Amino acid sequence: MRFLFVSLKSISIQRLVMPKTTALIFGYNKYAREIVNNVKDKYKHIKIYTRHIENVKEQDLKFVEHFELSDKWYTIKKDVDIKKSMAFCVLKDTAENIFLTISLRANFPDLTIIALASNKESANKLKMAGANKVIPLVETTSDIIANMLEKPISNKILHSILYEESALKIAQIKISEESHFKDEELHSIDWTRYNGIIVLSVMRKDMKSEFIYSNKAKHHIIEPGDVLVVVGYEEDIKEFEEKIGSKRYVDWSNWSW
Amino acid sequence: MLKRWILDFAYYLDTSKSYQRRKQFFYRLLEDDKFKYKKYVDFLMITLIFISVIVLIREVKHHVNDYLLFFSNYIISFVFFVEYMLRLWVSSSVSKIIVERAEHDTFLHREVNLRKAFLKILRVKLKYMLSPQAIIDLLAILPFFHELRLLRIFILFRVFKLFRYAKSFQTLSSVLATKKFEFLTLGIFASIVIFVSSVLIYVMEGNDPNSPINTLYEAIYWSIVTISTVGYGDITPVSHEGRFVAMLVIIAGIAVLAFTTSLFVSAFTEKLDEIREIKMIENVSKLKKFYLICGYESIAREVARKLALSNNDIIIMDEDAERVELAKADGFTALNYDPGKVESYEKLSIDMATQVKAILCLRENDVENVYSALTIRSIDKKVFILALLMQDVNREKLEFIGVDKIVYPQELVGLITKELVGKPVAFEVIHELRSENADVKIDELGVTERIVENFPTVGELGNKKFRVVLLGIYKEKDDRFYFNPLDDMLLEAGDYLLVIGYEVFIREFEKYLHTKVSNA
Repeated sequence: MRFLFVSLKSISIQRLVMPKTTALIFGYNKYAREIVNNVKDKYKHIKIYTRHIENVKEQDLKFVEHFELSDKWYTIKKDVDIKKSMAFCVLKDTAENIFLTISLRANFPDLTIIALASNKESANKLKMAGANKVIPLVETTSDIIANMLEKPISNKILHSILYEESALKIAQIKISEESHFKDEELHSIDWTRYNGIIVLSVMRKDMKSEFIYSNKAKHHIIEPGDVLVVVGYEEDIKEFEEKIGSKRYVDWSNWSW
Repeated sequence: MLKRWILDFAYYLDTSKSYQRRKQFFYRLLEDDKFKYKKYVDFLMITLIFISVIVLIREVKHHVNDYLLFFSNYIISFVFFVEYMLRLWVSSSVSKIIVERAEHDTFLHREVNLRKAFLKILRVKLKYMLSPQAIIDLLAILPFFHELRLLRIFILFRVFKLFRYAKSFQTLSSVLATKKFEFLTLGIFASIVIFVSSVLIYVMEGNDPNSPINTLYEAIYWSIVTISTVGYGDITPVSHEGRFVAMLVIIAGIAVLAFTTSLFVSAFTEKLDEIREIKMIENVSKLKKFYLICGYESIAREVARKLALSNNDIIIMDEDAERVELAKADGFTALNYDPGKVESYEKLSIDMATQVKAILCLRENDVENVYSALTIRSIDKKVFILALLMQDVNREKLEFIGVDKIVYPQELVGLITKELVGKPVAFEVIHELRSENADVKIDELGVTERIVENFPTVGELGNKKFRVVLLGIYKEKDDRFYFNPLDDMLLEAGDYLLVIGYEVFIREFEKYLHTKVSNA
């Protein structure tokens, strides 16, 4: 598991857990509408930007604003708190979508951008253009189909963790200064004492993630700032947090595929 | 009285299950290429044929061991005789013909006419016996009477029996059969040329004392050697008239040769695709478990690639020739059939219930997917069908047909964005676990009776030794997932272990589970 993280010291905890409150969706099509349906409960503000306002359905009009690719983005800058926003680039035309992503990144270095790509090739280009996260539609769909057929059970369990309101959760827990785990060797800790929790991997401060049973992780000495990826039921995770004296966190700052 | 007895016996055979089963068994053993034991019979026959030919060759200049001679002359002949009789037996059903006759006559309130029935039996059996293959089979038995020297050469007929087992020869003859008319024309032309030229050369040179051509037989021999452009040169015309005839024959020979070659070539080029297709279908029908993918567009292409990575057999079916070509170029078995036609599946001659793991309707067009899924359901009610859905309004149609799993990419995008927003960590981790390039994978291991015997509880599995995380156990019988089970939890056959770890270690762990010898 490779997770990329910037040096944690430079980011205040406040910043890390700051929730996103605005969704900016560029393009109005079936994907945009699906995104609106799924995220409208999670965001305070949703804005859809389209160039063809005449095609917008009545019930969506309240979200929609007009924009052009050549815009200077003044209005957006003015209206929206970029640090609290997440942008979804779902324009149909790949070239336009890439252009949009580059423009957004150039104007808003802090914006979290999620872009939809039709295939791997455009996914790479979108990543180069500065998107934090790219959803390659064909690959994702085919991944899901192949997993459904080949690993039906694990697929079902993972699907329930992800998409359904499952009690089972995956969380990241950051080792704090106060944690009594710090300075201990990873393999010397008897994880079975923490019943109900499975520790999958550890992410070191240098941004590298190691599977719990890998050779490198074996002799890893836990330091404050390390992050443990754990699976468990909500209550157990809470209990675990209390026991080790650390808290879970979510890093939005530099999140990449 | 006798008639009554014959009728009763015919009815008995026709309705006797064990008799019919036996007959069916022999029929499949001799004639059904898909029957698993047929290849052993074929192999035995081919070996016997080669033994007799080797004996024949050896016999020309050396003394052959008497036992071997006995084996070649009697045993092999006997085996072939048994085979011949079995083939004659299974070629048609005598009892059925009698029963049909009896039913027919009783229905019309007539006296049952057994004579007609016997005549029909004779006709049917004779028809089989006069087929080229049956004649070859019969001739192959003749070396039994090897004391008659002439009959010894019939051993060579045993070689012709090989044609029965050589598929390519059957294809060759079927290809050439399509050009029957052309070959007939060519044959007539060549025969006329040979006939005219042999008569001419005989008339011109038959009386010439310098000419080597003295008989009509020699004249025909010369004509054939010349027209075929072989031209041995052992017999050559000496007179001017004879040489003139030779020139004509040579020119005609070139025409005949060119015509023959072009006939073969055109017959094959016309049939080449068909031959390939037949071969492909034959291979498909031999596959044990495979995925059938209907449609080969971008998603289907990716899915096929992913499934192929885990060593699955995949058959692609698409009505568009270009996409089929693409699938072939990607290394898949692809057929240019319409997935919406029952005929396409019939041509494939597969048993959906046993051979197909799942059928995936992955056209990026709902109308096509609904149509294909409906066609498949009309053939088989149970086979697992997964279909791609492009417009949510069509979901009900797919559900109505009975599609087992519907995948709706648009919905996925919605869900993914929701999760990215709500549970980014879980999303990252799970995405990584599922990704084909990741080192650390999630996998499911089935628990067998044997595993339960050796490892009755979770604690005894020892997965930690193999650096494998046991995420949980899925119990199929109550459809529940037990996350992070306690050490004393009992394992049962049919459970699945959900494990996370490096691919190699998971494989090692799996091997250990299956091979560990019971301590008891």
